[in-house]
Amino acid sequence: MKPNTVKGQLDALILATLDAGPAHGYAVGQALRERSDGAFDLPEGTIYPALHRLERDGLIESDWSTEAGRRRRVYRLTRSGTNALGARRREWSAFAGAVQAVLG
Amino acid sequence: MTWTEQLADELGRRGVPARQRETILLEMKDHIACEPASVSRLGNPGELAAEFADELATQSARGGALGAFGALGVAAVALIVSQLGLGAAGGYPGFDNGYSTALAIPAILCMVIAPQIALVAGTLALLRALRRRGEPVLPAAEIRLVRRRTWVGLGAGLACSVALEVYVLDFLAVEPAWWLGLVGGLAGLAIVALGAAAVSLRGSGGLVVAATGPAGDIFDDLPPLRPLRGRPWRLCGVVAGGVAVAMTLGEWHAEHSLAEGLQRGIFEGVAATVGFVLLGRAIGARR
Repeated sequence: MKPNTVKGQLDALILATLDAGPAHGYAVGQALRERSDGAFDLPEGTIYPALHRLERDGLIESDWSTEAGRRRRVYRLTRSGTNALGARRREWSAFAGAVQAVLG
Repeated sequence: MTWTEQLADELGRRGVPARQRETILLEMKDHIACEPASVSRLGNPGELAAEFADELATQSARGGALGAFGALGVAAVALIVSQLGLGAAGGYPGFDNGYSTALAIPAILCMVIAPQIALVAGTLALLRALRRRGEPVLPAAEIRLVRRRTWVGLGAGLACSVALEVYVLDFLAVEPAWWLGLVGGLAGLAIVALGAAAVSLRGSGGLVVAATGPAGDIFDDLPPLRPLRGRPWRLCGVVAGGVAVAMTLGEWHAEHSLAEGLQRGIFEGVAATVGFVLLGRAIGARR
């Protein structure tokens, strides 16, 4: 899948990944690859600007911890993030249903 | 040079502040430590740094406009309280009853003109920030426009607040202590708020934005003015004329004197024209 196609939905995909539980950047990237069966082939670095943006928007929050002697930032959904994810899921269902109906 | 070193270099080159740079690099180091081979999937460090810088600059320009508008609100309260308070304190003291007319006249002129500039520039910056609030990245030209509007608003707000302090000092021996304390305190608070907004805006001024695109203009922000697009001097005439008529009518009603109304109206119309000539480009009212 083209990186730009995925990038347009990246915020929603990250929110959905974090819906399963708190995760750090690398784990978010892995989850995206695994859950999409490798279809989402975008540079993993681009996850981080999106994570920072989602945090600025109050949809996720983060804490620093120490893992094997190095600092790790772990992200989790906020209540607003959970609501935003619900809204994105409904929008996507409606959109995908409409596209499917046209494409056949 | 390792990938992380390249990223550090690119982030620095694009003006990402040291604190954010450190956070980003810590996360990237953790990412690579989780799986050293993942470094090949992280992407181009230059493009990633550009993405961070573009988003930070966009967010800071929008946040700066919102913060400046809030600080201008404090300055507006100080000005309004000063004028309402003068009524309660026995009326206007007259510009020649203070320590020096050399202090009073520039202060009064500033208190009349600067708030109008601050209102226009600050509101336009806020309008653009709110209208484009959903966009993660704005083009460099648009970020520059929002920042210019914000700077003009902050500068005018600061000039008005300082003028209020000068006015207070000039009439120290004339006005009651409660008025001097209240207005002096509020103007001081406004100066601090505006200063803080300016420092915050200045802190993100070094970000280098790569995103391209048009800045847009005043007509994008105020759709009813669109018929005047491409005719800036007609826009100037409409605005200056509107201000002049409004001021004439307002002053005529307040002072029961058409002559005083016309005098104030003409002054405001000329001031609006001069403002348009001097600041029209900065706030995106003309090219």
